[in-house]
Amino acid sequence: MFKLNLKIAWRNLWKNKGYTFINILGLSIGMASCILIFIFIRYQMSFDEGFKNEDRIYRLTTNWTSADGFAESQGVPKPTPAAFRNDFKNQVEKVGSIRQDGGVIKVKDDAGKERIKVQEDVFYAEPEFFQIMNFEWLEGNPNQSLTQPNTVVLSQEMANKLFGDWNKAVGKTINYQNRDNFTVSGILKDIPDNSSFPLNIVVSYQTFKNYKNENFNSWGNTSSNDECYFLLKPSVSIDEIRSILPKFSEKYFQKDNSGKEEISAQALTDVHYNENLGNFANRTMPKKELYGLAIIGAFLLLTACINFINLATAQAVSRSKEVGVRKVMGSLRKQLVFQFLTETLTISVLALLIACVLTEIALPGMRSLFQDNISFSIISHPIILVFIVVLVIVVSFLAGFYPAMVMSGFSPALAIKNKISANAGGLGLRKVLVVVQFSITVILIIGTLVVLKQMNYMREKPLGFNPSAIAMVSVRNDSLSLLKYQILQERVSKIPGVLSTSFCRNPPSSSNNNESNFRYNGTEKANFQVNTKVADENYFKTFGLTFAAGRGFSKSDTIREIVVNETALKKLNVVNFNDALGKKIRIWDKEGTLVGVVKDFNNLSLHEPISPVLITTVKENYRNLAVKMDSKQILAVMPKIEKIWNDTFPENFYSASFVDDDISQYYETERVMGVLFKVFAGVIIFISFIGLFGLISFVATQRTKEVAIRKVLGASTIELVRMLNGSFLIMVFIANLVAWPLAYLFISKWLSTFTYRIEISIWPFALAMIISMVITLITVSIRSFKAANANTIDALKYE
Amino acid sequence: MIKIENLEKVYKTEEVETTALNGINLHVKEGEFVSIMGPSGCGKSTLLNVMGLLDKPESGSYKFIDTELLTLNDRERSNFRKRNMGFVFQNFNLIDELTVFENIELPLIYNRIPASERKTLVNEIIERMNIVNRSGHFPQQLSGGQQQRVAVARALVTKPKLVLADEPTGNLDSSHGNEVMELLCELNETGTTIVMVTHSSHDASFSNRIINLKDGHVVSEKINKSRNEELI
Repeated sequence: MFKLNLKIAWRNLWKNKGYTFINILGLSIGMASCILIFIFIRYQMSFDEGFKNEDRIYRLTTNWTSADGFAESQGVPKPTPAAFRNDFKNQVEKVGSIRQDGGVIKVKDDAGKERIKVQEDVFYAEPEFFQIMNFEWLEGNPNQSLTQPNTVVLSQEMANKLFGDWNKAVGKTINYQNRDNFTVSGILKDIPDNSSFPLNIVVSYQTFKNYKNENFNSWGNTSSNDECYFLLKPSVSIDEIRSILPKFSEKYFQKDNSGKEEISAQALTDVHYNENLGNFANRTMPKKELYGLAIIGAFLLLTACINFINLATAQAVSRSKEVGVRKVMGSLRKQLVFQFLTETLTISVLALLIACVLTEIALPGMRSLFQDNISFSIISHPIILVFIVVLVIVVSFLAGFYPAMVMSGFSPALAIKNKISANAGGLGLRKVLVVVQFSITVILIIGTLVVLKQMNYMREKPLGFNPSAIAMVSVRNDSLSLLKYQILQERVSKIPGVLSTSFCRNPPSSSNNNESNFRYNGTEKANFQVNTKVADENYFKTFGLTFAAGRGFSKSDTIREIVVNETALKKLNVVNFNDALGKKIRIWDKEGTLVGVVKDFNNLSLHEPISPVLITTVKENYRNLAVKMDSKQILAVMPKIEKIWNDTFPENFYSASFVDDDISQYYETERVMGVLFKVFAGVIIFISFIGLFGLISFVATQRTKEVAIRKVLGASTIELVRMLNGSFLIMVFIANLVAWPLAYLFISKWLSTFTYRIEISIWPFALAMIISMVITLITVSIRSFKAANANTIDALKYE
Repeated sequence: MIKIENLEKVYKTEEVETTALNGINLHVKEGEFVSIMGPSGCGKSTLLNVMGLLDKPESGSYKFIDTELLTLNDRERSNFRKRNMGFVFQNFNLIDELTVFENIELPLIYNRIPASERKTLVNEIIERMNIVNRSGHFPQQLSGGQQQRVAVARALVTKPKLVLADEPTGNLDSSHGNEVMELLCELNETGTTIVMVTHSSHDASFSNRIINLKDGHVVSEKINKSRNEELI
């Protein structure tokens, strides 16, 4: 019986090759998208997993509540770990600090000649950190390898890179920043990609503590580089810790009127997902984005299943006779349902095979889009196999159940006489499904248009300064380097194609920001903090900043003259900017004169409003030389800068970036989202329209006789095409009406995350309607034109 | 009214060529009721389809009141057909989704008759066909005879000069068949030219002239005296 069913299934699929092709194509594309999304989500959810006691590991973080709002940092002030260890003895098993740093690593060969010079991330960690997080050690162990100063633990890969063979690395030395020599005391097994801890070089924390200029008593300074983890005692709940932390914060932080600072605890399982707090790997993936992707995946699959249901029910009539005969022969309804479900399962499995191929093809693109090392390996991740099996079953059931119920429900008497009318297959339901399908499609089209328009807006919005063709060349600020600043600047300025240069800490817009308290005009401390930028006198010219009042400051190595932006004065309630000129501002315990008011510029990403900004001169805080170039000569100028830099600082490592690249980096998430929208909108449009094509083909065949009659009665081809297309256009039109409010909700929510955003206008909606209607018209016309042009006689002659 | 000369039609499939019409000559006068008879496959339906401009012959000439129809393009054929011809089929060919009224109205719509006028015309013919109480029904709800009357009504509503009937009683029992034949006769008496294809000599006896086809030729022609005398 099963063999016979399979035969019938196969012959039916073959007989209706066109529909089978559409079904399999749609399903396989939908499934491939789902598999890709699942692989990605699985990968993202696998971060920081597998540690012993992972549910008891937490990170301490710092947050500030002030008039300006709420801010958080992944780091804690340096004295925090010791104080926490002491105050929470009863609740916490272990506390471990880890600090991120980075610099030039050099390795000498046996003859003492420099063999390797690389720029690397370096971490300082307490042994406790590795007791909390049980990373795998190939040589050494946390207790011994990281207790002494000037010892370093390398990852297997790093050891291979520096010494050729990790087995021979222990006991050898590496040089850090031309300053310290560290002895290799242990080897860590390579840390996988899906980790928030890219630990390749870990130096004992004791080394860091020995540095003279580090202050381990100041609670006033928080760096996101100083992280601290702790392991809860098994019997203690985190709520207990959280209830004591406010008191702990109160005890140590200095109180002032500008805001409240507090330490809080974050679970290890949240470290990868919390975008407000970062992590060492600098990769966070908010869970809501994963959910969004999952929803898109579900939509894609739904669209493909709708194709299937529509075509299957439409075709049902042609199989009514088979159903009738089977029923007369004694088949139970249950057996028929089972038979049809088997057929759907066969199609799903075929579609799955194609989907797997498509997944493999699409994977490299996905990898480069997310810059993640995701793989489609069923062997290393059996969960993917489970997902695929579940996917096939869900699809078979979703797509096959309703058609099976319809077909198995035919009355045998009518079915045998071929009296099942075409509407038996649930014409109304088919229409509803088409509307649902196209609503999803239209929402995605609108979403794509809006995302792309906002991206374009962000690219083109004037920021209040000119970020183009400016390279930020990093410089070190040790006393030796400081001496060479002037010669570097002079030589770089002389390169043809260099228009202007300026030493500064950051460009006008940066993701690296410093906030500080200040006093204006001798009054008490202002009730808000300013975003501080330190730079030399050429900063304004180099970045094309313009003045609302006053002038730029003149040359100085320390705080003497100060420039603020318009927002800062507005917050100070200064109406006439000229009144403020000449007033004294006190910051970092020094006083300067306000000489200029710079016009507001976007100092943060366009998600954020403009902050009050203060710009002044502090030579030892510069970190970059900004070089403004003639945009046509960038390619020629950059190598020259590098050469001069290497001549000037032979001991150090040259690195440079472009300001506009850094700015576009703010919108990486949006860029990825834009690409995803484009791809998925394309896929969903494709699936929907092949489904539509299948449906119109079916309708055209079904109405052949009617078309012929009308033709005999004098209908022209155009009139017939219009008749066949009519219902489809109406359905797509209704789908547009359904989609609009939903799309509006979605895009207004998304746009609200930008402080600077496009106005929602009618045109994405109108355009989506035009696009969907035009494609519908083309799709259905291709088929209906053929039907209307077909020879009439045969259809009239036979029933 | 109709002058057909040397009409040839060949059906080609991959393997065989079938000559359906082989040099047919046929004249039909205005107001005539002509039956075409012959064995299956003799080409009678093909001839009717060519006359109705539903099919194109390979060669020959087809004049309808001095207009040569075989040189017309698709659009012109379609226009000519809807203005001058009505069709009645063996299997009625009503549209299942439309009511009786709507089915009859359809050719008027394609002839761009204004709605108010359409209503009058349709109601007129519905009354004449004695199906007034059926006008809101769908075809499946009617008996075969009633369906064929609706089909006849649809063929007549545009007041065509020529009605082409392809075995109009083939799907009906004899009493319903007779009803339809009487309807056609009545119609003929009011001046409409009718060409009918039939197997039944009983049906043929209603016409003025019977033409016998075989292998695409006209083999014989018989004037139906009784009917003609009746006419006189």
